[in-house]
Amino acid sequence: MSASMARKLVWAIALLPLAFFLSGLTAADFADIQALLNMLGRLTGVLGLAFLLLSAALSARVPGFDQPFGGLTKLWHSHHLLGAASLLLLLAHPVLLMLAAAGHGQDVAMATLFPPLSDIATWSGWLALVLMMIFLAPSFAFFGPPNYERWKRIHALAGPAAILALIHTFLFSRTMPMNLDTWVWSLLALLAVGAMAWRFVFSRRIGRLNHKLVAVDRVANNVIELTLAPGRRRLKYHAGNFIYMTPYDNRLEAGHGEEHPYTLSSSPTEENLRVAIKDLGDASRAIQTIEPGCRVTVEGPYGRFFPTSDTTESSELWVAGGIGITPFLARMRHLVALGEGGDIQLIYCVQDEARLLYANELTELADRIPGFVLTHHFFYQEGPISVEFLKENCSNLDQREVYICGPMPLNRTVQSHLRSIGLPYSRIHTEEFELL
Amino acid sequence: MKKLIFAAFIAFWASVMTVAALSWLSPEPVARDDSALPEYTLEEVAEHNTLDSCWKAIEGKVYDFTDYIPDHPTPPRIMEAWCGREATEAMRTKGIGRDHSPAAWAMMEPYLIGRLVEED
Repeated sequence: MSASMARKLVWAIALLPLAFFLSGLTAADFADIQALLNMLGRLTGVLGLAFLLLSAALSARVPGFDQPFGGLTKLWHSHHLLGAASLLLLLAHPVLLMLAAAGHGQDVAMATLFPPLSDIATWSGWLALVLMMIFLAPSFAFFGPPNYERWKRIHALAGPAAILALIHTFLFSRTMPMNLDTWVWSLLALLAVGAMAWRFVFSRRIGRLNHKLVAVDRVANNVIELTLAPGRRRLKYHAGNFIYMTPYDNRLEAGHGEEHPYTLSSSPTEENLRVAIKDLGDASRAIQTIEPGCRVTVEGPYGRFFPTSDTTESSELWVAGGIGITPFLARMRHLVALGEGGDIQLIYCVQDEARLLYANELTELADRIPGFVLTHHFFYQEGPISVEFLKENCSNLDQREVYICGPMPLNRTVQSHLRSIGLPYSRIHTEEFELL
Repeated sequence: MKKLIFAAFIAFWASVMTVAALSWLSPEPVARDDSALPEYTLEEVAEHNTLDSCWKAIEGKVYDFTDYIPDHPTPPRIMEAWCGREATEAMRTKGIGRDHSPAAWAMMEPYLIGRLVEED
């Protein structure tokens, strides 16, 4: 299944309740402006809840489930869009119903918004909406960029919000013909509950693989590479995948027992896993001082940066920025391990020579891969990467599959250069590690 | 995207607060004097128990819903069952324990025809 097919399927399921809703409409729903506003008020409620539940279902993070979407970050893009659309719709929902009631007088509008406390149906809806505003506020950076762990804890309010929204809907439940309401909402609720059950129950028991931290290599003053020896069960993965890793070391100042996403830098042919970690937040800063010997669990693999990571089927351009070199490093190590080559051009962008990560190993690996060319771009010397730089340092640029991994500004700049020379979106592949 | 969501969030609270403020600041509606309305007994109401003439007694008042029934969201037979009767329970519970909305209560006003009185 292609990524666009997978996305379309998600939106089709999300729009299913709308189809049933529309089939239940009659001429009376369009009779006057009040009826129309009331109908739109109910419609936004139906769509908003459907989007909310489906968004929850997409957050399950079941390994493999992200593949048709082109990786977990792409899947989360759909999750994010559905969540945003859901909030917009559900904000409009009470306002439209209030406006519909305003035709009968201001006091009726007020009573529609704020009925007596005994009206559980309305108040459960209100509570769900307020919870939604709370758990989505950090996601949309209402009050500045959020702290990852706090964001995660607040985001868990999505569970109670969805349950309250379902109670609200079941109590009103006159939006669709026959008993379709019950069926449609039960189905979507089941998807959402199934997803949550996986995330919070099953993934913790069967999804997390035990590993032991056996080595810590200092790559730079703010980057380490961990080597993890597998326990009884080994992780099967492709070069360029990422994992959620949980370290168990009480001495860590932050991040003990917390899971965070990190890219694997090892070749899948290696006995152990290797993970490169740059100091980017509280947990990744604290882990810089971790010592070998502790237990870590690994959940994954996720992502589909390279459609084929074992061989190189067409000419490729890789653009890496800073720690964004990691998936490329993994692929280079993998190609060397397999003795594979290919027409691959890697442009590694850093601020200056001193910030190059894995400088020696990259040069050595590049020499050992037939057809591989490594170029550096130094921001402090050359400024932002230009389309001329790309053209000069990469032959037949417009014929290549392009893979970009690095900070968002670099990612956007390179993408716009590629678009300007006519490269279609389908040939540009990106891996984003800024999740919000 | 972030700006749009934040704008919607602010717009939402602004509208809700405005409605609340207006409602708080507006004068209380003057209670209408119903004493001039015609008086009916439950016996009289009971004569209008069909879809062709459907009266109902609700909270001490009498309504003629004949013209409204086609517009009601449920099939006509649901309302027909209450024609010619004391129907406060139907209004307050919809048969599922849920009250009708404030808008629904307000919509009854044009169909008001009289006051319910005890039989002599």
